[in-house]
Amino acid sequence: MRFYFHLLLFVMAGLVVAFAPLPVPPIAPQERTFRIDARQFAYSPSELKVNPGDTVTLQLVSTDVVHGLYVDGYDISIEADPGQSATLTFVADKQGSFRFRCNLTCGAMHPFMIGKLTVGTNNWLFRSLGLATLAVFGALISTKQKA
Amino acid sequence: MTKIELTRNPFIKNALKSRYPQLAVFIVMLVGYIFAILAGLIGTPVGSHNFSIVFVWIAWWAILILVAVPFFGRGWCAVCPIPLPGEWLQRGAVLTPPEKRPKWLNLRVPKMFRNIWLQNISFLLLALFSSVLLTTPNITGIVLAAMLFAAIGLSAIFERRAFCRYLCPVGGFIGLYSQTAPIELRIKDKQICVSCEGKPCYNGSQAGYGCPWDVFPGGLTKNTYCGLCMECIRTCPHDNIAVNLRPFSADLAKPSTRMDEAFKAFIMLGSAMIYAGVLLGPWGAFKDAAYNVGTSAWFIYAVIFLSIIFVILPGFFTLGILKAKSALPLKQRFASLATALIPLGLMFWVAFSLSFVLTNASYIIAALSDPLGLGWNLFGTANAVWQPMLFSILAPAQTLALVGGLIWSARTAQKAANEVKVSSIPVIIYSFIVTSIMLWLLL
Amino acid sequence: MNRSELLSRIFVITGIILAIGAPLVFWTRTPLIHARMAENGGWNPDIIQAEVGKPLQLKITSDDVVHGFAVGQMDMQSVDILPGKVSEITLNFDKPGIYTFFCTRWCGLNHWRMRGTIEVSGSSSDPEPVSVPLYVTLNLDIDAPHDAPVIPSGQPSAINGQQLVTNLPINQSTDYYRANSPYQVFDELSSAVLTESERWDLVASIWKSNTTPESLANGQQLYAQNCAACHGENGAGDGVFADDLAASGEASMQTMTGAENMMMQSPVDFTNPTRMLGASPALLQGKILRGGMGTGMPMWGSIFTEEQIWDLIAYLYSFQFEYQN
Repeated sequence: MRFYFHLLLFVMAGLVVAFAPLPVPPIAPQERTFRIDARQFAYSPSELKVNPGDTVTLQLVSTDVVHGLYVDGYDISIEADPGQSATLTFVADKQGSFRFRCNLTCGAMHPFMIGKLTVGTNNWLFRSLGLATLAVFGALISTKQKA
Repeated sequence: MTKIELTRNPFIKNALKSRYPQLAVFIVMLVGYIFAILAGLIGTPVGSHNFSIVFVWIAWWAILILVAVPFFGRGWCAVCPIPLPGEWLQRGAVLTPPEKRPKWLNLRVPKMFRNIWLQNISFLLLALFSSVLLTTPNITGIVLAAMLFAAIGLSAIFERRAFCRYLCPVGGFIGLYSQTAPIELRIKDKQICVSCEGKPCYNGSQAGYGCPWDVFPGGLTKNTYCGLCMECIRTCPHDNIAVNLRPFSADLAKPSTRMDEAFKAFIMLGSAMIYAGVLLGPWGAFKDAAYNVGTSAWFIYAVIFLSIIFVILPGFFTLGILKAKSALPLKQRFASLATALIPLGLMFWVAFSLSFVLTNASYIIAALSDPLGLGWNLFGTANAVWQPMLFSILAPAQTLALVGGLIWSARTAQKAANEVKVSSIPVIIYSFIVTSIMLWLLL
Repeated sequence: MNRSELLSRIFVITGIILAIGAPLVFWTRTPLIHARMAENGGWNPDIIQAEVGKPLQLKITSDDVVHGFAVGQMDMQSVDILPGKVSEITLNFDKPGIYTFFCTRWCGLNHWRMRGTIEVSGSSSDPEPVSVPLYVTLNLDIDAPHDAPVIPSGQPSAINGQQLVTNLPINQSTDYYRANSPYQVFDELSSAVLTESERWDLVASIWKSNTTPESLANGQQLYAQNCAACHGENGAGDGVFADDLAASGEASMQTMTGAENMMMQSPVDFTNPTRMLGASPALLQGKILRGGMGTGMPMWGSIFTEEQIWDLIAYLYSFQFEYQN
């Protein structure tokens, strides 16, 4: 009976860690422009950080073959030929970490041509780490009880 | 939590006992496998539009790691086409045992190779070239063909399925992780086996072949080396073989003491983490190093890859369990406690594969209509555009897999620690640290 | 052998034969033209035979990256050749001759080497009069230095020049414009009572009057697709391949014959007035038509039509002159 009570407690705590709304610190939205050089098979810079609400402009400059850039979660994309750079402007209204990746086959390692856009803090990572901590805490307690 | 005997159901039992359903699946699999080899060799060199890459590394891999291994253990081995041509030639028959035994060498595999170290090595060999293998149809075609011929060659020299048991790069980890699966093949009553004369399940009879996996079913306590080929169901004269539904990870309650299996756990754990960083991470230099096989950057990558697997991960693990007060030698504690990493490694692979598979699953639809890249449109889907699938559930599913894996491995650690009478805390903390790294790499 | 064993063997062997045979049969029956990056072989095959009046059907696939297909000097939309996909193209030729087909999407430093020929046989109803390019008629040495000794202090404005142009007795014909560099015209205007900057404005307006917004737009498009990767999107010679070109000098030379004393060079900077204002349209035509002979500048003679080259040249001068306000 006590076991189930503890289990329930941990599940409740887990749900709180996973879904409790977090206060969003008010940061005035900015306009940000990034020039992203694309080559086989990497973007440079490959890690972008913006704040939620920012208007983000990506200028994609292909430096060898035709590349694309698709942003996970936002479901938007552009393509650029060498010599014909392309721009994509969007409002970063979804918080978290998103991969962006080439969506035009550009050679063997094309599926792994990946960059990372972080909008605000990557809350999901911290929630997950919180859940992992909770899980370990629970495991340690149950070890203690048995011992 | 009890076991449910599936073979009590006459339909399941007859389906397993009869050779025809299995043969039908075998033929389909073999045809698909040979087609994949051909597609790799003559189809378009563009991996994402070639049957060999799309159906092996996306479709098959997804089914294997997300469904077959977690739920059916060695279920894949039960239908795998790789050993078939060799086995049929070795037996001199496709279906039932012939009157006369064919005169193949039928040697016993030397004792020093009767472990999974060769499988560890063959997996690592492929893993070090994986960036090329995963993306180049030619190489995939050659590797698939090489495995087929290696299996034929080993069948010609050694008895039973030497390839599956000792060399297959995939078989090693399927076996390791099959211990977690809720399916098992076991005997019903030990006494019957003890008194059974001739042991036809191991030695073969008119009804079927002796265990191709070189296992005596009467002694089965874990799934690792049982290939679910169902031969013993056919040969057992006492109807003493059952396929059971059981709780997950039942085999892990009895931790292994073998170093080859312990290191297999580290190999799988480490390679999932390395792939998550190299293939799915935003760091271009790693991808270049992994892809440009033969360059100095690749050699550095290979050295780092092997050191993570053989030095760093086991090293910290050893440090964690070093101080424990125990009468048992360190080696045995190491092997037993490494059991805790088996469910964790499986879930690492699930989390990694979810990302890779969901992102690229739409290639399957296009490749179905134009498997060779010859401009066909068999099902009208050849022009399906690439589009990641189910993005919104990806991160939660990965968290669920990894945190779930952590809990699972903590529970396993407690059981294993109990067996060897040491504290499970260092192992749990170790699992927590590697899980945190994996979360950081994937999310 | 019993019957079930025999049947099983038949099934197995049929399956294996089908799995090997069917792909092989279909593969050999689908003749594809393969497109690869030039360093990996370019077009394969790169010589195609055709006949006048017979539609030529081509199936083209790419083996690596995005390529494009078009035939030089032909009025056709370029067709994208996508990796692992097959593009079908039907071509009609009404004149015999050797046509050049080329890649239209940049696929690396050696993109422009990715060319092939279509040999069209048959008889022609009306033989084409062979036209000699202007730079040949004028007997220009297109490799000679052509720097302008004087350059304007600011960017010359065609709008300002237009107000001055009416009262000047100066030849504004197309032939005159094409044969002279901006500096030469500037020099010829020295007799007029004008300031230097007014004279440059006037030159700009003459250059403008010899083109149209449509030509400029067409030239701009040609420039973006074919030139900007090396010469830069803003003409400054700083395109994405500029550094590679300068660096790859010797290595790329290995593929050239008879040009051992030439070196790959950095692409020309069209915003440099000394160079551009000393070059006549005819000189630029020569350079574009013939190419740089080993400097990394492709020859465009077999690809652009004469009109396209004049449009492109008109656009190149827009890096020097202000045509609008």
